[in-house]
Amino acid sequence: MSKPTPSFPASGPRPGENTWTWLLKIVTGPLLLLILILHFTVNHYLGSMSSGLMTYDDVIKYFQNPVIVAIEILFLVTVVTHSLLGFHGILLDMHPPRALLVISTWLHVVIGISAVVYGIWLALTIASLGS
Amino acid sequence: MDSTRNQPSARRFWSWFIPLRRDIGSWAFALNRATAIGLTIYLFLHLIILGKLAQGPGAYDQFLALTENPLIKFGEWLVVAAAILHGLNGIRVVLTSFGVGVTRQKQLFFGFMAIAVVVILIFTARMY
Amino acid sequence: MTETWNITLRVSRQKQNEAPHFDSFQMEVNPDEYVLDAVERAWAFHDRTICFRHACHHSTCGACGMRVNGLEKLTCITLIRDVARDGATLKVEPLRNFPIVSDLTVDMGAFYRKMERVEARAVLPVTEAEIENPPAQWDAEDSQYIRLSDCIECGLCISACPVMATTPEYLGPAPLAAAQDNGIKRKPELLSVVDCEDGVWRCHSAFECTAVCPSFVDPARRIMDLRKQVVGARLRNLFGKA
Repeated sequence: MSKPTPSFPASGPRPGENTWTWLLKIVTGPLLLLILILHFTVNHYLGSMSSGLMTYDDVIKYFQNPVIVAIEILFLVTVVTHSLLGFHGILLDMHPPRALLVISTWLHVVIGISAVVYGIWLALTIASLGS
Repeated sequence: MDSTRNQPSARRFWSWFIPLRRDIGSWAFALNRATAIGLTIYLFLHLIILGKLAQGPGAYDQFLALTENPLIKFGEWLVVAAAILHGLNGIRVVLTSFGVGVTRQKQLFFGFMAIAVVVILIFTARMY
Repeated sequence: MTETWNITLRVSRQKQNEAPHFDSFQMEVNPDEYVLDAVERAWAFHDRTICFRHACHHSTCGACGMRVNGLEKLTCITLIRDVARDGATLKVEPLRNFPIVSDLTVDMGAFYRKMERVEARAVLPVTEAEIENPPAQWDAEDSQYIRLSDCIECGLCISACPVMATTPEYLGPAPLAAAQDNGIKRKPELLSVVDCEDGVWRCHSAFECTAVCPSFVDPARRIMDLRKQVVGARLRNLFGKA
């Protein structure tokens, strides 16, 4: 006879996801969709290449506008947050052991912060290349 | 008797992507999950490639020449199609999560996918 | 003259010391009979070792849930005509995501314990039930009238849910629907039970639970409403304390 699965772990319900992480995921989704439309249109249709893509010079010129830099950084933060929260959610769907979950959560946080820091550095570097 | 047979298991994650004979909601879930994984992988590749901009015009424009490669173009098309499908399906999830259209979620899905198909066709026409 | 079909009933078999397999039974059936009738006839006249669960035969007890041709059905109300045709094969398997006790019978224990965890109500005052065409205003004495809950705890939703396939700890559609029925305002102690990793946030809007529910519970809609209740409660707690 197979052993019945427990209804809850002995330590109680796990806190790996809650109202706030879910709200963050659900808010960043539509927000990034709006910014994506702008980002994609500019980068793929308004460039000077025959395909519409932006050349190096196009990108440098584009990043001279501080509003553009701010929007691209906002886009970076929302898309990294949304994608990593979503990826973490997929892992939670498989109910990993607690130790693996803690490691994975920290890995997601480190990757997320690293991606954002790298992206902000890149945006500011590109902006400075035009001056 | 295998005590794990027929029981929930992380090893059965493949069943998310093969919703045979299931209702349309399972197909929407499978589509959302597959595009999510694809887009996440693309996101981090994209961030790495953009680092070439900091290396000067030669490095970046050399990479741009690659984008004319048909395989790369197809990859780009896949990414854009995935973003459109995931984005619009995501809007369905947001709406139903706040109680909007819950009893019409199938129609909502078909409607959004129809919009997605139109947008993808327009994008494809402009791309090729 | 009653119509007669010849079908092949393929029944999933699994006993303790046997490898899982299917047994096939050639049967003459009336297509206006139910799948449960076919299974019962296979047991009665072909193989008395077939183990399956059934009781009321009129969709009240929830005992006879099975997968019919891969989809979750309450077999006592599933007409053979709706799932097969003359000469076809009708495949019957146990519900997914439950341990198998024997053949088509699964262990519902963990599921019932989850229903207890959310204090699922088997009966409730008619004034609190979601019924069609309720009066604009209930009279005070109406609350004395009670009604059976729509949920018959058949487990079809648990079997159909794609998230239940990969985590046994997820509360699942029926318990979450029962929690919604109770209401966070009425039972604030349920907030910590559902606002967690294995609670309401594991749902990914596949709506498969609502698609298979034979009893008009509409678990997916209730889970969405429960989310609103949880978010509302957390925001109230946040700004109430601020």
